[in-house]
Amino acid sequence: MSILVGNALTQWFGRELALEGVDLVIDTGEHIAVLGDNGAGKTTLLRILATALRPTSGQLQIAGLDAFRERRRLRHYLGYVAHSPGLYPALSAAENLEFFCDLQEVSRTRAEEALELVGLTSVARRRADQLSRGMQQRLAIARAILHEPRLLILDEPDASLGDDAAELLTQVMSGKTVVLATHDHALANRLCPRTLVLRHGRSLGTATRLHVVK
Amino acid sequence: MNPFRVALAVARKDLRSEWRTREMVPALAQFVVLALLIGNFGFQIDSRNALTIAPGILWMALVFAGLVAFGRTFAAEREQASLDAMLMTPASPVAIFAGKALAASVLLVACEAVLLPALTLFFGTPLSGEVVAAVLLATVGMAALGVMFAAIVARVRARELLLPLLTLPLWIPFIVAGGQAVQSAMGLPGSYQEAIGLLIDFDILFVVLTSLAARFVLDE
Repeated sequence: MSILVGNALTQWFGRELALEGVDLVIDTGEHIAVLGDNGAGKTTLLRILATALRPTSGQLQIAGLDAFRERRRLRHYLGYVAHSPGLYPALSAAENLEFFCDLQEVSRTRAEEALELVGLTSVARRRADQLSRGMQQRLAIARAILHEPRLLILDEPDASLGDDAAELLTQVMSGKTVVLATHDHALANRLCPRTLVLRHGRSLGTATRLHVVK
Repeated sequence: MNPFRVALAVARKDLRSEWRTREMVPALAQFVVLALLIGNFGFQIDSRNALTIAPGILWMALVFAGLVAFGRTFAAEREQASLDAMLMTPASPVAIFAGKALAASVLLVACEAVLLPALTLFFGTPLSGEVVAAVLLATVGMAALGVMFAAIVARVRARELLLPLLTLPLWIPFIVAGGQAVQSAMGLPGSYQEAIGLLIDFDILFVVLTSLAARFVLDE
């Protein structure tokens, strides 16, 4: 059963075409990687799929709901790790997550669990601006899974994560439908059975890992 | 989802960040004291003209301090790229807006706590409960409008220019009614009750209007 159906998703930024008629169907529990060079439209596509950006044209359904008309109802389904961590620098790692627990209306104990999952328990009381870039990225991932979303949109989550990126992401992605954008073909191959390739905002189609390697 | 809980969480987060960084309040407090000092020397204040000039200086300082305080509310979120994360939660945009406005108001009230005694010190004007009430009532409506326009202009590059252009014309009613209330509280002619009534009316009007608009401003 499909959890996400995107049809002719197109995005213009002024006179610049960032995404042109991308179709995408993702089944429940599927992990799909989005590959492409810089400027290929990966972040734009992921922002649309995360309902953070309304496309210029095209339709998007998530869990059977119109993703833009029913955007608020879909917030519980979606977890999004953006290109930039987007943390509050003066708050500690734990305070960052506790704030989002309040907004997501989940118990604050979820903050501790998420910190443990991403390996940040030892720095829970350290301010976000005193964390390394890799730790900040882990914290952003922890924030995205606080409310245990069914659909996880990850925009280059492996950036600065270090050697155990694949291991951490495998844990985080377990049991969820995932769309993951990355430059790392090997990582995409390891984590996602299917791949969508973008070039200059156009989809070159989806393929199994074997085809992409070729 | 309880919107009051969300608003309080947002306000608490903003105030905690300000407490740790101390970016805004010390700078604003210095600014208002300097504004009073410049006004004091620039207008050649003496006991005869202090009462007529002081309310004008008070509102000038308050307006410019407000522009800085409210302008930072959403600009900081944009710079940190944290606004998207907040808006991706199921929390109501109106509650998020209310929380931001509450935090910005508290920061401005902290500046007013420096401004009003300093006004008395520099101009020798009486500091009464009536003056404080007028300033606090004006702060409510000014915060609602200021934070709303701060949210709108946070998306554009020339936000520092646009914010005063959009906000100041709509703050005029508060400056007029607030100025009249402060003048009559200081013993000059004019009806204090009438001015306070106007301030309350403007507060209700703009708090309701900005709450209705917040959903569209933040959600789109």
